[in-house]
Amino acid sequence: MDTAIEFKDVTYCYPLTKTPAVKNLSFKIEKGKFYGVIGANGSGKTTLCALMRGFAPDFYKGELSGQVLVNGKSTIDYENGELALRIGYVFQNPFNQISGVKDSVFEEIAYGLENLGVEPLEIEERVVTIMEKTDILHLAEKNPFELSGGQQQRVALAAILVLGPDIFVIDEPTSQLDPEGTESIFEIIKAMKKEQKTIILVEHKVDLLAESADEILVMANGELIKKGSTQEVLSDIFLMEQGIQLPQMAILSNKLKQLGIGLPVTPITEAQATEVLQKIIKKKEGIQ
Amino acid sequence: MTEKKKHSIKDDFTLLALLIIPVAVAVNFVGGQLASLLKLPFYLDTIGTIFGAMLCGPWVGAVIGLVTNLVTGIANPVNFAFIPVNVACGLVTGYLSRRNMFSTWWRWLIAMILMAATSIITAAPIIVLVYGGVTGGGTSIVTATLMATGTNIWLSVMGSDGIFTVIDRIISFFISYFVIKVVPERTVIKFGCGENFIKKK
Amino acid sequence: MWIEKFQIKKTNRVAALYPTTKLWIVFFYSVCSLLLSTVNIMGIPLLIIPWFLVLPILATLSGVISQFLKAMKKAAIIAIFIFLVQTFIIPGGDLLFHFGILYIYSDGLHTGVSLSVSILNIAGAFVWLFQTTEMKELSRALEDKGMNYKASYILLSTMQMIDLMGRNSKIIMNAQRARGVETQGNLFVRAKAFFPSMVPLILSAIISSDDRALALSSKGFEIKCKKTHILNVEYSGNETLAMVICIIITSIVAIGRVLLWILP
Repeated sequence: MDTAIEFKDVTYCYPLTKTPAVKNLSFKIEKGKFYGVIGANGSGKTTLCALMRGFAPDFYKGELSGQVLVNGKSTIDYENGELALRIGYVFQNPFNQISGVKDSVFEEIAYGLENLGVEPLEIEERVVTIMEKTDILHLAEKNPFELSGGQQQRVALAAILVLGPDIFVIDEPTSQLDPEGTESIFEIIKAMKKEQKTIILVEHKVDLLAESADEILVMANGELIKKGSTQEVLSDIFLMEQGIQLPQMAILSNKLKQLGIGLPVTPITEAQATEVLQKIIKKKEGIQ
Repeated sequence: MTEKKKHSIKDDFTLLALLIIPVAVAVNFVGGQLASLLKLPFYLDTIGTIFGAMLCGPWVGAVIGLVTNLVTGIANPVNFAFIPVNVACGLVTGYLSRRNMFSTWWRWLIAMILMAATSIITAAPIIVLVYGGVTGGGTSIVTATLMATGTNIWLSVMGSDGIFTVIDRIISFFISYFVIKVVPERTVIKFGCGENFIKKK
Repeated sequence: MWIEKFQIKKTNRVAALYPTTKLWIVFFYSVCSLLLSTVNIMGIPLLIIPWFLVLPILATLSGVISQFLKAMKKAAIIAIFIFLVQTFIIPGGDLLFHFGILYIYSDGLHTGVSLSVSILNIAGAFVWLFQTTEMKELSRALEDKGMNYKASYILLSTMQMIDLMGRNSKIIMNAQRARGVETQGNLFVRAKAFFPSMVPLILSAIISSDDRALALSSKGFEIKCKKTHILNVEYSGNETLAMVICIIITSIVAIGRVLLWILP
């Protein structure tokens, strides 16, 4: 598989601080895969995102050692703004992502394409397609400031999706949303995955990640302490000792183990757990 | 400071500075509205210009001043004539900030005198020549009374407008300074003149 | 067909003039006002008074007369105030009128009429411009004429920001009132209410500007290329006619003014 993003021994300090926000990061992000990033607050997840997008050090200033390569080229070698074409960036606060110069959702989503100099007829086509995919076409004529948080976040996602980058860095998009809003955002992300987009998603809701991510990166105190397949990482009970939240099914399986009921595999999703438990129960019935 | 500090105007207009301009203009607008809502005898409509210029330097400050009077002029075209006053306020405040004139109390004093003087010097000719002494604003009654007693028009304008302008600038400066001190340092550092407001460790 | 929905359509032929053409009209109108204010009849610049009628006519032709009159109220109050102060306070010239303690001298009346009507004239021209033109049309047209897209962003964002912060300031003030901050009473009490209402407003705006910069950058704002627009501002076809009329009227006024100087 091709590499989308590569960290080569990256350590980064924000200005005015002496302790690095992230240190000794070396890993690869492969094209077309969906990565979940988990870790406690302040463990360096957002800094990781900012480094991938080149906002650190370009915007945040500070000191960077090592290299972050996007499609083989160091982020500091990209021209001003050029990375916007390669990496889509969406973050927590949906309200702050509204451009503040457009009166309607349609125009808001079209704004990025206007900035890229796309012809109006093509803009219309692309905007309508994206709005259908993200289920916001019915909001087209509304003022973006007058939407609910969940709707605003969908608009923010659509406004970036429409630019058509191959890589998406999404930093806790659901932290300010209700369960319904969260679900609709995950639906969109899953659809993006089907289109072979590379996705890096920072998310606290591990149960949702368990269902859809290919790999998980675990951050603690600015370091990458674990990286591996979703199954492998999210069933690793030792992570719980580090204060990392694991999926409920993994916790359940751990409790069962303590009670003397060991499962052959640690399930991380409901579907998996059902399957595993069914097998065990059937086996027992068979013995009796 | 061996590194030479040569500023190109274009460098001042970073993405962040571009975003601060509308915020500063809105602060000017809301400040003015709130002051008149609370029936305060000051305009307090340059707080945005002052903090914008303190953070981003003279040129951004000048643009804030210009845009403020252009936009408020739509609702009240009397403001168009006062564009030079607000632009000068931004320029002078920004320049003072760049020269780190907001660091100690005696520098504050000099800075505030210069800021107030700029406003009086730029506003008086406009009030006298364009409006014949009275603009219909808060201090007009005082000016008109002074003029009625036979006082020279320039003295009347500078006298009545002057005192209020000085107090206005002091209040506006302290609000701006307080805000900049409360904003997290990692945010302040990103602005052109932000360094000057950060405690040296 | 979606783009059609977001175009600004105007049926009125005057209002539909190209935004920069309307800017020129404001310019020529202001020039005429200033020229006319220098013409004295019986020591008073009387010509600028009937000249003001051009504006209500223009507003009527543009179909915005009622909004125009409403918006002019503020300017009118200032103009009347200035007129009264100037007329009754400035001595000099001939005594024209005397009633009790009120004296009107010709100099004061001259300045009063000239200043107040000039203000009404110039203010009125801008009021007309902005009642027939939305900011996004104007900035779009100016961008077409070479204005930097960043300036356009500043103008449009400012309009929305004023709206947004105006609403936020009311919310904050109500919240502070609920917390017991007095907004009524003597000057000191009222002045003290200014700070808790203003500071959080500025603070949150500065802090959120970080996020907004990243969002804007993510939308390709800094990419150097020719920007496109889904909003189209088109020429209505009457622009040349409008400019010709403006230039003819201004020329007549200018020539008339010069003749008055030359002729004895």
